[in-house]
Amino acid sequence: MHSELCSIKGNRDGLVITIMDSARFSEVLTTLDRQLKSAQSFFAGASAKVMLKQGELGPEQLDSLEQLLAVYGMTLDREPPRLQQPVSEKLAVERPERQERGYEPENTLLVRRTIRSGQSLHYDGNVVVLGDVNPGAEVICTGDILVLGSLRGVAHAGAEGEVDATVFAFRLEPTQLRIAHLIARAPDGKVTKPAGPEVARIVGNTIEVSIYNH
Amino acid sequence: MGKVIVITSGKGGVGKTTTTANIGAGLASLGNKVCLVDTDIGLRNLDVVLGLENRIVYDLLDVVEGNCRLRQALIKDKQYGENLVLLPAAQTREKDAVKPEQMLELVKELREMYDFVLLDSPAGIEHGFKNAIVGADAAIVVTTPEVSAVRDADRIIGLLEAAELYEPQLIINRVRPDMVRKGDMMDISDIDDILRIKILGVVPDDEDIIVSTNRGEPIVNDKRSKAGQAFRNICRRILGEEVPFLELQERKMLNWFKKILSGEAR
Repeated sequence: MHSELCSIKGNRDGLVITIMDSARFSEVLTTLDRQLKSAQSFFAGASAKVMLKQGELGPEQLDSLEQLLAVYGMTLDREPPRLQQPVSEKLAVERPERQERGYEPENTLLVRRTIRSGQSLHYDGNVVVLGDVNPGAEVICTGDILVLGSLRGVAHAGAEGEVDATVFAFRLEPTQLRIAHLIARAPDGKVTKPAGPEVARIVGNTIEVSIYNH
Repeated sequence: MGKVIVITSGKGGVGKTTTTANIGAGLASLGNKVCLVDTDIGLRNLDVVLGLENRIVYDLLDVVEGNCRLRQALIKDKQYGENLVLLPAAQTREKDAVKPEQMLELVKELREMYDFVLLDSPAGIEHGFKNAIVGADAAIVVTTPEVSAVRDADRIIGLLEAAELYEPQLIINRVRPDMVRKGDMMDISDIDDILRIKILGVVPDDEDIIVSTNRGEPIVNDKRSKAGQAFRNICRRILGEEVPFLELQERKMLNWFKKILSGEAR
């Protein structure tokens, strides 16, 4: 499944070049060159960050990467490439149905802060928030949403029609919850506060919230 | 070199200006040299709250446009003189008359002259707000225990963080302990639960504030007022002191008992 040596993706911070294994760096360069060529001048003027799944990159390797990007009018953000833990193969094998979805399980954005009112996060993949999603904020993504805190804003999981997507939160008190094409909102009047973690998913033709037990 | 603090809220009418005036007067009475800057161009009222309206000759815009020297525009307070000065906003112009670079330059100059520069921000998140935060080292967000005010405070905190003004502190204004007790008003923990920033102070709702504002005399040095006490505590916390929070939820019996004991009407 890691057939791709590297990928270029955009997220809210800009472009991210993910390199699976630095040991095959020359192959990575060739692949990247081919990908950039096929994208033509689409990325021109953009600044890209490097994300590394395995191994490390030396300054010379960063140099050659920078040179390659410069050919396509791009710049390299030379902050030390972050090492990202690869998703365990076992997990991926155990849940093969994930592969049939439109996104890969490892395509997950980790947000290490609270998303506040007026802030909006769009992402192609899953989103994990280490903080709260406050009222007036929204998280919209094509995969699952996990909030390790309180979800009080608007969450839209499976935004491209993925009916298997779920929304999980330690305290699930959203203003509005959307999964795929369905919309749910909190009942009017006094609402009892959830006692613990809850998860929302589509059951039949409605969004159902249940206490989370793994 | 002084510290520059912007006082902001997002929502209007939560008490930014009153808070600015009282913190300014409080810090001045504790022996600091303080400059208050009203950045609410077109809708100034910090001068009114301080009772200095009739002394304005030049304003912030005159300074940035070079019509006068900075010192000429600074108005000395009635009570604290040199230790508390106000740079008033222009009343007859629009908010975009000042550019962020000009604000930055102005703040830089003031910071050399005073221990504290307090910037009273306009409501909203547009041009005026951006002008107000541009030169600040720290931010104080004022809110009231209302859902809409807390929502706007949250928005502002997000914007402050985006502008690299991290760790803003919160003042919760106009708290009514009786309503909180009955469950009719958000309590401190409800607000803290959403905003999750350090609480600098909790100011009880106090009719005397209205009187003091209309009279143009900050309440901070009124020893009888609970709101004044809250503002004095806030000032001490700004100066780095650890001050316990006021006990707002006094029971009626206890109050009545106290009154009899102290023999004075509170």
